[in-house]
Amino acid sequence: MPITRRVFLKNSALALVSTTVVPAFLQRAAFAAEPGKKRLVVIFQRGAADGLNIVVPHGEPNYYAMRPTINVPKSDVIDLDGHFGLHPSLASFKPIWDARHLAIVHAAGSPDPTRSHFDAQDFMESGTPGYKGTEDGWLNRALRAGDAHAEAEPFRAVALGPSLPRILAGHEPAIAVNNVRQFGVGGNNAAAAPAANTFESMYAASADTVLHGTGKETFDAVKMLKDADPSKYTPAPGANYPRGHFGDALRQTAQLIKANLGVQVAFTDIGGWDHHVNEGSTQGQIANVLREFGQSISAFWTDLGDLQEETVVVTMSEFGRTARENGNRGTDHGHANVMFVLGGPVRGGKVYGQWPGLAQEQLYEGRDLALTTDFRRVLGEAVQSHLGNRDLNTVFPNFQNSPRNFLGFLG
Amino acid sequence: MLTRKRTASLALLVAAAAAVTALHATKKTNPPQLDDTHRIVHALNRLTFGPAPGDIDRVKAIGLDKWIDEQLHPDKIDDSALDARLSNFLTLKMSAHDMAEHFPPNQLIKQVADGKISIPRNPDEKLVYLAELQRYQFKLEKKNSKGKPDDTNDADNSASDADNPERREMREHGRQVAFQIAALKPDDRIPAMLRLNDDDRRSLLLIGDPARNQLTDGMNPADREAVLALRNPAALVHDELTQAKLLRAIYSNRQFEEVMTDFWFNHFNIYVNKGPDRYFVTEYERDVIRPHALGKFKDLLKATAHSPAMLFYLDNAESVGPNSLAATGPPPFRGGFGRPAQQQKKKQSGLNENYARELMELHTLGVNGGYTQKDVSEVAKVFTGWTIEEPYRGGNFRFVERRHEPGPKHVLGQRIDEEGEREGDHVLEMLARDPHTAHFVCNKLARRFVSDDPPPALVDRMANTYLQKDGDIREILKTMLKSPEFWTPESYRAKVKTPLEFVVSAARATGADVTDARPLVQTLNQMGMPLYGMQPPTGYSMKAETWVNSAALLARMNFAFSLGGGHLNGTQIAPELLLGQNEPADQTIAEATLENDLLAGDVSEQTRTVIQKQFNDPKVLAQASDDPQRAKREAVLEGLILGSPEFQRR
Repeated sequence: MPITRRVFLKNSALALVSTTVVPAFLQRAAFAAEPGKKRLVVIFQRGAADGLNIVVPHGEPNYYAMRPTINVPKSDVIDLDGHFGLHPSLASFKPIWDARHLAIVHAAGSPDPTRSHFDAQDFMESGTPGYKGTEDGWLNRALRAGDAHAEAEPFRAVALGPSLPRILAGHEPAIAVNNVRQFGVGGNNAAAAPAANTFESMYAASADTVLHGTGKETFDAVKMLKDADPSKYTPAPGANYPRGHFGDALRQTAQLIKANLGVQVAFTDIGGWDHHVNEGSTQGQIANVLREFGQSISAFWTDLGDLQEETVVVTMSEFGRTARENGNRGTDHGHANVMFVLGGPVRGGKVYGQWPGLAQEQLYEGRDLALTTDFRRVLGEAVQSHLGNRDLNTVFPNFQNSPRNFLGFLG
Repeated sequence: MLTRKRTASLALLVAAAAAVTALHATKKTNPPQLDDTHRIVHALNRLTFGPAPGDIDRVKAIGLDKWIDEQLHPDKIDDSALDARLSNFLTLKMSAHDMAEHFPPNQLIKQVADGKISIPRNPDEKLVYLAELQRYQFKLEKKNSKGKPDDTNDADNSASDADNPERREMREHGRQVAFQIAALKPDDRIPAMLRLNDDDRRSLLLIGDPARNQLTDGMNPADREAVLALRNPAALVHDELTQAKLLRAIYSNRQFEEVMTDFWFNHFNIYVNKGPDRYFVTEYERDVIRPHALGKFKDLLKATAHSPAMLFYLDNAESVGPNSLAATGPPPFRGGFGRPAQQQKKKQSGLNENYARELMELHTLGVNGGYTQKDVSEVAKVFTGWTIEEPYRGGNFRFVERRHEPGPKHVLGQRIDEEGEREGDHVLEMLARDPHTAHFVCNKLARRFVSDDPPPALVDRMANTYLQKDGDIREILKTMLKSPEFWTPESYRAKVKTPLEFVVSAARATGADVTDARPLVQTLNQMGMPLYGMQPPTGYSMKAETWVNSAALLARMNFAFSLGGGHLNGTQIAPELLLGQNEPADQTIAEATLENDLLAGDVSEQTRTVIQKQFNDPKVLAQASDDPQRAKREAVLEGLILGSPEFQRR
């Protein structure tokens, strides 16, 4: 059962009256404030984002030939290196690129041939393409061999959203937070405290192992967040998060990180990429969702300030889309895609990976961008070089992943 | 040929597995079984949205087997009390076409603005159209003056009032207009609103709930809906749909049918917010899902395949055969499948595989069902031409020959001869007959009704019934309910409730009177399970791991406490319903009574100890209830029991 578990307080009587004693996690909270802790933020673009219209291969004539109505015209592309360029909705990424904190990996993704959203997302979250039996997520396993003292931090692994995603399921404790301000029984209402205490004791005493464990994690986290007083939060100057679910999620992620709650890995997602019909180019569906995506991430980046140095952000999507547009001015499920990596330690300003080309014979199954970089190579580098977990065989089983194969975006 | 062989060998395999199980069953004794009372509680937990006050005694009185039989034949169960609760929601009985006409989407308003369609004469409709036209023109002006689109909804957006004094003024004006009109007799109000000048009528679009309630007070349902629709016509449809879903789940006497309707809707999921699906989902659930919920899988599958809701949701309505006349021939005499005029002139040439893929992966064979990408493309060709007439006007299914891919197709090793629309029916029948489908569907049913990881022997037995009885859902469920695996102590309260099951079971257990279900709809949004709001075609997970996490758990406790304490708008709990007229003086008795009422007494010693201990805390009592009618002690107890670990399972 991939529900996260923690080591419970040895003495259950202690747990019963935990409101009156200092909880174990608070005793260890000193480590949370320890500066220099590395963290990884993972963003999932659910629905198969169209990488070819996101980082546009404008130096590739085939691109324009295959997408007569939905291409991003050369004149509108924000050129990066003469061959690739950003969709104009990603204008806010350009300064980060220029400062060499943004790297791009093109033609990356999962090698599994599935074109099912469900399967492909599942594989990318479990980290085991082609194998459905994996019960936990790679981001959870990435914490497995980490420093032992950090184990009890309630916010060590956090997902912004109403439920814990597959990627964070597993042995290590991980929590889902929907709204940091409302996180607790009775929200901000102090009068609800006695009821909260009762529920806490009830779950602490429960023999239902699943609910007991989650209950404990929940109440530990509630207390810690309360001490950090998130209602007083204002983003850093210049960090203008757009309205909407994704901007909110990243603003709250920044909030948790800056509150020194010991966040080591964070996850959030953004949907709305499945453009089978009327995808649009510089305007339209993809332009809108991409603007929300780009502005949210760049606001998050600005908001982090000095903490940029300790943070790496990786984006991914389950697969790319067909190289050709379909008859509905959209694109269908494809194969390889583009990934963004940004962060203080990132050697950015470069498109990594090998470009397979878009000529008919270069396409995967004659229709999709071919894959030249396995997503696990990208993530493996982030896990080992940034988070410091060298046990990549556990994080990504059955995949040859050694520093020799890294792309080198983390030096 | 190939398929037939494959099918035969699989059927054999299934049969063999069942035989082995049967052998085992005779050798060893059946798994331990629940006693009679627990069987009743178990049946109510699994086949309904949770026991309501008096349910256990009622089932005891008629006998469990007879009750199950009744539930399996919902047509014979009287549901007039529920019908009365739903009588104000007129859209529930409308076709998508009528709905789109009464509560027009933007596309229709644009056509009115362009002079292609005239404004209806019916006063209610006329009012909505006039208001929407004004909104449309206002947006157009704004767009032209700024040079960029601005899609902010000008109603329902009070947050921006602060930096928009003009708006604030207009809202205030709207309140005054509403007040004057509310003073008229109810039947005179709509005509009065039609006589308003443009500015006055526009100001009415901005009023808030209190002013709107005054305006609708005493109105007949049709007038009332017209006023509610001024805010946002499509939202009104959604509002009635979601409220009705909860009211049915809470109050229908045909509980098993409701549970099965929920199950099949989730299996053949539609995301309500995708374009015209806003208008299609009501009839989809009513005419496609519910009538077949206990019928034959084949019929259900065919009905979904023909439904405008599914054709639009999974894009088949847009699919065009690459070698069809539509793609290769001269431009059609008339385009007009609800697409903007400019595009109708373009040749349509795209094969869309979305439906074909999900049909096999999620609706029938299952992801390991032995099909390939080639099969997906071929099935997509089979369904080319299956489309919708004027989707934005709530149109019906239509087969368009000129979009259909010519030539034979090959699906799962079988040749499908060219036969136009019939090809799709052949494929659907083929898929419905496939043993993979039998197994996939039965496994999912067992996961919903038995356990997160159902016993394979049980699933095999159900799949056998599926294959022998032509996919008769009622028969499959009977097999499940006759199986010892269903009635084991391990499966008793073993399933963690989904948010929907939790919220509805709490409302049922407390005997709550829900007069406005919108706050409950909101609660489900917060718990991550918006009704009709699952975007991917997978539907919601029925496994515990999805729903047990910090955010969801807190939301449950919060809901339990506000429901128990009577803090939830639109939901009342009768104080004497559970404890009787005279609340027991003894706290232990009061608690035991509520335990019995809410959880059939299945409260652990640990939970009971905690509740009793905290119960003496005056601070707990102090904030328990705002409701002077309601005993504070009872409110606290109810909230705590509903939020307890025990109540999270069914």
